[in-house]
Amino acid sequence: MAENIELRRLSIKSYHMTEVAFGDENLITPDGKWTFKEDMSEYVKAHSEVIEDIKLQIIMPGDHDRHTNAIMDIIPLSTKVLGKRGEGITHTVTGVYVMPTGVDTEGEQVHEFGSCNGNLKEMLHLNMAGTPADDDIIVSVDITFKKGLGQERYAIIEAYKAVDEWMQQFRMQMKKFDGNAATERHDYYDTVKQGQKKVLVIKEVIGHGAMLDTWFFADEPCGVEGGKSTIDMGCMPVMLTPNEFRDGAIHAMN
Amino acid sequence: MGVGPSTKETSLHHFRDPLIKVLGEDPGIDLMGVLVFGSPEANIDKILCSRSAAVIAECSRCDGVIVETDGWGNLDVDYVNCVEEIGKRGIPVAGLNWSGTAGTFVVESKYLVDVVDFNKNPEGIESNIIGENNYTEEDAREAVKRLKIQMAKKERGLKFF
Repeated sequence: MAENIELRRLSIKSYHMTEVAFGDENLITPDGKWTFKEDMSEYVKAHSEVIEDIKLQIIMPGDHDRHTNAIMDIIPLSTKVLGKRGEGITHTVTGVYVMPTGVDTEGEQVHEFGSCNGNLKEMLHLNMAGTPADDDIIVSVDITFKKGLGQERYAIIEAYKAVDEWMQQFRMQMKKFDGNAATERHDYYDTVKQGQKKVLVIKEVIGHGAMLDTWFFADEPCGVEGGKSTIDMGCMPVMLTPNEFRDGAIHAMN
Repeated sequence: MGVGPSTKETSLHHFRDPLIKVLGEDPGIDLMGVLVFGSPEANIDKILCSRSAAVIAECSRCDGVIVETDGWGNLDVDYVNCVEEIGKRGIPVAGLNWSGTAGTFVVESKYLVDVVDFNKNPEGIESNIIGENNYTEEDAREAVKRLKIQMAKKERGLKFF
């Protein structure tokens, strides 16, 4: 029987977060503690042309009986530690996920075809691949856009940039996490399985414009900085190895 | 993300995609890669991008393709065109798509027979609930199974569409 050829390995090391709280400093540690300042004025100021305000909320498991504005995305906090996209080492956190939401100053939700604003308990289906589990903590980054800008492409991109910049300071700390302190480690291989059926996956993602966009190839997994929009690439097909895909090469930017 | 809240795939979904997991772990499948194309707004562009994806499938000499999307409605135009262009090239093709009752295909093709509808909403509607109508490992396994049957039929010289 033909042998498998391993082309490259991607190790994703995860650090399980158990304590998430507001504090005086922005600090994340490998033993599961994530503290950040409640004040987001720095990021509002940096994107003041489109953003009026940003509020953070820490939503504990089961505490979902509360109002949420339209959910824009659920983002894992992950960072590249060693190697290029799809190989080497990536650090990620589990137990907590970042959830940007959006509305404008007039109360107009960031949505196109139906809006997921309302009671969070009813508007978020937990335990799916793309959503937090029952026992996960959610960090809601609630963005208030300037009047009428919640459905403008440039404003949405700015908002994602603001979220990405806020997340980046924690990614920089995570790069230094001791690899041996990881809660879990998963090794993924791009493998040529000789003699087996060659299967290609084709994914159609959104590239309509306004707030319907998908970005590729950010510097960090599921990041924004350094990324390219499918719209700017004419929506033409882009080939990724399975490991590049697993390493957060795509950021859903709705 | 896609066009409706309940079918939208979040960045987290892509990061731990069930389809890539199922295919990667299958010893009988050599997962070549993931080809991603955007769904543009104009019809002429939709046809171009989706056909280009099918051309890459043909040129890569793959044995089979699974086409997946988190969109519906006007995104069906590109989706169905992609599946049809692959089918017309004699390549086995299965798929994952949300239809339910409210999002059935707005265009038709005979090559859509092995597209799995991953609807989860009891009424089959776009419920606006994030994550509800997303595919799971079970849906992915069903699509892989259907593709394997097509590929086996092709190998034996049987009609597979």
